Amino acid sequence: MTTIPRVLSILSLFVAWIVLSLMFPPSIVPGPVAVFKAMAEDIADGNAFYHLYKTLLRVGLGLILTMVLGVTIGTIMGLSHKGEVFLDSWVMVGLTVPAIVNTIICLLWFGLNDRAAIVAIGSAAFPAVSISIWQGIKGMDMQLVGMGQAFHLSRSAIIRKIIFPQLLPHILASMRYALGICWKICTTVELIGMSSGVGYQLNYWFGVFSMTKVFAWTLLFLLVMFAIEYLLFKPVESRLTRWRTGVPALQWAR
Amino acid sequence: MGAIKLINVSKEHEVAGGKRLRVLEDISFEAGAGSFTSILGPSGCGKSTILNLIARLDRQSSGEISTAGDRIGFVFQQPRLLNWRTVADNVTLPLEQQNLDKTALRALAIKYLELVGLGGHENYYPLQLSGGMQQRVAIARALAIDPDILLMDEPFSGLDEITSRKLRQELLQIWGQTGKTILFVTHSIAESVFLSQQILIVSAKPARIFKRLTIDLPYPREYGDLRLFEIETLLTRDFLGMDAR
Repeated sequence: MTTIPRVLSILSLFVAWIVLSLMFPPSIVPGPVAVFKAMAEDIADGNAFYHLYKTLLRVGLGLILTMVLGVTIGTIMGLSHKGEVFLDSWVMVGLTVPAIVNTIICLLWFGLNDRAAIVAIGSAAFPAVSISIWQGIKGMDMQLVGMGQAFHLSRSAIIRKIIFPQLLPHILASMRYALGICWKICTTVELIGMSSGVGYQLNYWFGVFSMTKVFAWTLLFLLVMFAIEYLLFKPVESRLTRWRTGVPALQWAR
Repeated sequence: MGAIKLINVSKEHEVAGGKRLRVLEDISFEAGAGSFTSILGPSGCGKSTILNLIARLDRQSSGEISTAGDRIGFVFQQPRLLNWRTVADNVTLPLEQQNLDKTALRALAIKYLELVGLGGHENYYPLQLSGGMQQRVAIARALAIDPDILLMDEPFSGLDEITSRKLRQELLQIWGQTGKTILFVTHSIAESVFLSQQILIVSAKPARIFKRLTIDLPYPREYGDLRLFEIETLLTRDFLGMDAR
């Protein structure tokens, strides 16, 4: 049922693009035909795959670092009051410092390489995840833990079967959100200090004032992100949250 | 020998400022094997503490508690089900540490779900069930461990009156079929009179046994039975008298 509004939403964006491209010269808003042609050229010569691969690698490893840091720190903050007091300011600092600062520092520390990109992404994106997990633990149903204890479940069984499943929706939601942040930071890092990746390409085509190529690369990345969202995140999420489906409560029919 | 025996059990909590708050005072009672005993008292008087002590989730400050066997089934006021697990997987949750294979677990789940009148609902998720059905699942979970004692902490107080009446009748049937020793905490006079053979009336803060009552009426009992009503009236008078003192 949600397919129609979704298709309409994407279609309306596309129509707006066509209308704008008719109102402005191609150097300001290039039309879909020119942009898709430019994209096809990059894909045909293999150039697109190399740069997409580099960016996805950095985003992917950066996301892993983000999740490891974010979930660990968020869990400690949620479970221990001392931990909360200790780590609270870290998260505040992490949230306040602009990602560009992380980028510059990492490039200076590690040099112009993938490691710098991954550390910059992880260090800039983890606070958002930490906060989500921290809140998730605070909102957890502790009565269920009491139930586990009453039935003499082992500590590890309580963590695996009662605590972790309650955190899973928070982990998934924060991961989707973090993916967006990681991609934005990655583009910045590539723009400043890398010689490969989508950000580098954007910077290059910006340098030669090719609006068509800038559009083509942005669109290409958008398509990849959509594919990740609909082929990976959505199916995993709907499988893991099957139990929440809105089937009405059964009434006693006897 | 009694299935549950408490001798002079007291419980104190440490509260702010180093003071000690007495929650239970000198609780002694005995519940025979296969008996149905209710602990009746006002809300927040420490009745649940007695159950927690018997289940060894907490330790008494003084006194002795002995139980026949240490397998204890617990039914709480809320169903406390894991919403992401199917009904069958909820029932077998406490059994998963014993090395049973999947088919054996499944068979146990089906057996106990049928016992509580939920045959055929194994693959539902808790949120697809009504509150009364969820509480039946919780009862099946407590029975599935084949407990020596079944502790129930106001299990029907969150349900509407019609559903809880039905569940009370069914609980008595299950009790008849399984012969479990049941200790049932409630704040409802009518509920305790309808269900129990023995009622312990507990006063508030600290909880102390104010009166003991044995009800000899045979089962099955009927709602609206005048003899039950009479006992209820007497108990209500006792309760009002307890407050006045």
